[in-house]
Formats: sequence, structure tokens, C-alpha cells
Amino acid sequence: MNISTKWIVLAAVIVAGSLYCGTARAQDAAAQVEARQAVMKSQGKDAGAIKAYIDGKSDLAAAQAAGADLVTQVAKIPTLFPKGTSMADLPGKSYAKPAIWTEMDKFNAVAKVAQTKAEALNAALKGGDKDAITAAFGDMGKNGCGGCHEPYREKKPT
Amino acid sequence: MRLTAAGLYLALAAALAVVAAAPARADEAAVARGGYLAAAAGCDQCHTDKKEGAPAYAGGRRLTTEFGVVTTPNITPDRAAGIGGWSEADFIRAMRWGVAPDGSHYVSAFPFPYYARLTDGDLRDLKAYLDSLAPVSRPVVEAAASLALFERARAAVGAALGSLNVGAPVTAPPSNPPGDPAVARGAYLAQTVGHCGACHTPRTWLGQPDGSRELAGSAGGLQGARAPNITPDEKTGIGGWSEADILSLLKDGQTPDNDFVGGAMAEIVRNTARLTDDDRRAIAAYLKSLPAKHFDKKG
Repeated sequence: MNISTKWIVLAAVIVAGSLYCGTARAQDAAAQVEARQAVMKSQGKDAGAIKAYIDGKSDLAAAQAAGADLVTQVAKIPTLFPKGTSMADLPGKSYAKPAIWTEMDKFNAVAKVAQTKAEALNAALKGGDKDAITAAFGDMGKNGCGGCHEPYREKKPT
Repeated sequence: MRLTAAGLYLALAAALAVVAAAPARADEAAVARGGYLAAAAGCDQCHTDKKEGAPAYAGGRRLTTEFGVVTTPNITPDRAAGIGGWSEADFIRAMRWGVAPDGSHYVSAFPFPYYARLTDGDLRDLKAYLDSLAPVSRPVVEAAASLALFERARAAVGAALGSLNVGAPVTAPPSNPPGDPAVARGAYLAQTVGHCGACHTPRTWLGQPDGSRELAGSAGGLQGARAPNITPDEKTGIGGWSEADILSLLKDGQTPDNDFVGGAMAEIVRNTARLTDDDRRAIAAYLKSLPAKHFDKKG
């Protein structure tokens, strides 16, 4: 193997390696978006279970279990938005607006509001008063979930 | 003598209070009715600079629209910064025809093509409510990239053509089952007060609602905001939604698949959540009464 061949091989290894790393990063980001969407869906499922109780289609115990789970799911939100997972990074897959990453403090504050609303709903569920649960549920939907979806989500992922 | 004078004064004061109280009560009722309408229409959503934490109705919010960047005006009764100097006729003209007291035309980012059908009584109540607000002197700072002349001209032409249409209003319900008061109330709330069509009906290039695709969704861009088809079409609309599904959305922002709406609709839910249960049911009855339009906004 002469010197120039050595350089060619080395260059090929570097190029292939960096290509591989790039693909791996993109794959990581895609997996992160999928994981994020799965957490959001599980929150929706919890909300559906609580709504079923409010509508008289399910019992309080099921709603209470959903409320407790919702609190743990919402707590994950601030960890679900690593860099490189915006709709600009992964068009057609992510619908998270790039503003999240340019104003991370504001985003975290809004996520914190969602956490507070979910905890209030959970407390109301534990209390068992249906009017209080209904009010807390509406507040969580509009100002918790909606409070974040309004500024930071482009559209619902399909 | 002194006592008599004091007694006379008290009697006079009491009589004056009675005289003053009668119109005040009538005003209070008008203010309350106007406040409900303002909440239903969501005037405060656009006319408040929430980003800056500014007072409600004091304007200054920047909206990026198909007409360019629109900075919403202050509609508190401040005489200099707001609309405190406006007569009732000024207010009604602005709401119905989109023409300011100085004769300039608004672009239809301000949904006057929808408000054109507000009743005289409702417009008077709305003004009574806005007049009852505390005046805020916060001046509105126009965006640097303001509306291009062409956009203003386009809006003015659209408004003029739209006004010709008012005999057969562009926002008329296509076919209401006659005699259902809930549907009629829902139509008024959804089409006129709530101006659902401002997003859910595509616009013509002149910025006016395209009546042939009323509430059938808009792809966004020059046709207005992107918004789904809300006619009862099974495939492209909300034909699969029950009345309860529509009520959940209007009250809590929750969709049948347990998502919570975001974007502009999250703001609208703040308005519809302020309605009475009866009024939300009326909107649901109206939406269900619409003819299904098969229209995929992507197409």
C-alpha cells in the first residue's frame, strides 16, 4: 500500500464515519420525536379516561388512576424537546415550532403551567367532587395542554 | 328651619337618585349583553398585546395575515389612543363596512365581512360595553413592515364588492331547517359573532369569504389561515363527530381522539368556553345542520 492509497483509504473512512454519524443523529432525532409523540398520546389517553368519568361513562377510580399517570407524564415534557427535533429539522415528522428552542425559558414556563394544572386536576380527582373535577379538567385542557399547543405546536401530527 | 332645609335636600337627593338610577340600570343591562357578545366574538384576543402583558382591549398585538402585518388598534374609550371619540354611527360603520371614521379602509383581518350582519341592537350593546371599559392611553406602535398600498387597495375593493353583496350576504346560512330556534341562534353565533368563517372559509383573492366553500376549510396562504373543514362531511369534515364531541371541543378544546387543540383554535376555545351551555349546544346544532361539503383542504 503506497502513501497515496493510504490517504485515500483514510479519507474514505473519515467520510463514511461522518456520514454514518450524521445518519445516526437524524435517526436519534426521529426516535426522540416518536418518543415525544408517544408521551403526548398517553397524556391524551389519560385525558380521555377522565373525560369519560365526567360524561358519566366511567367510574371515579379509573379517572383517579388516569389523573395520577397524567401528572407523571406531564412532568416528562421538559425532557422531551432535545435540540434537532423541531419541524425545521424533521419536516413532515415533527410539528414542534422552532420558537421552542429560541425561547426555551418561556417554553419551560408554559410547561410548568401545564404541570401545575395537571397536579390541580389530580388533587381534584383525589377529592372526588365532580364539579371541581370538571372545572379543573377544563382549566387543564385550555390552559395546560392548549396553553402549550397554542404557541408551540404547528399542527397536530398525523 | 335648618332641619327643613336638610330634609328638603335629602328628599331632593333621593329623587335625583331615583331619576339617575333608571337609565343607569338600562345601561348596565346593555353593558352586560355587550360584554357577553365581546367575549363570544373574542374581541380581546386580537385587541390585546398579550406578549407584552398589556391591558385588555388596548390593542398592539401584531398579526401576520395574508394582507401583511396588522397591528391591532386600541379599542378602549381613550379619546386619543382608543375609540373614545367615536359616535355610535362611527362604530357601526366600522363594524359593518370596515371603514374608519377618517374614511380609511380596514383590511379584512378585522372580520367586518362577518360583523356586517350583527343586529343594530347588538352593535349598540357592544359599544356600550367598550365604552364602559377603563380608558387606556397606551398608543399602538405600527409594525415597521406595515401594509403595502396594494394590500390596502385590494382590501378596499373587496370590501366594496362585499358590501354590494350584503343584500344576499356572503355569510348566509345555506339551508336552515325552518323554525329551529337553536339552529338560528347557532348560525348567528358561529357565522356572525364568532366569525368561524374567517379561518374555516377560504377567501377569494380580494379577501372576501368564498361562499361556495363556506366552512369547508382553508389550505392557508393567500386564502387565509389554514383551518379544517367543519361541515358534516364524513371524510374531509366533522361528520363523524357527535354533538357531545363538538361540545367538548368548544368547552375544553378536547377533540374526539383526545387531543387538545393548539394554534389559533386554542384562542377560539377561550371564547367558546365563555358561552352558556345553551349557546354551545346551539353552535353544535347549527354545524350539524350544514350541508356536508366534500373538500380536502390539501387538494
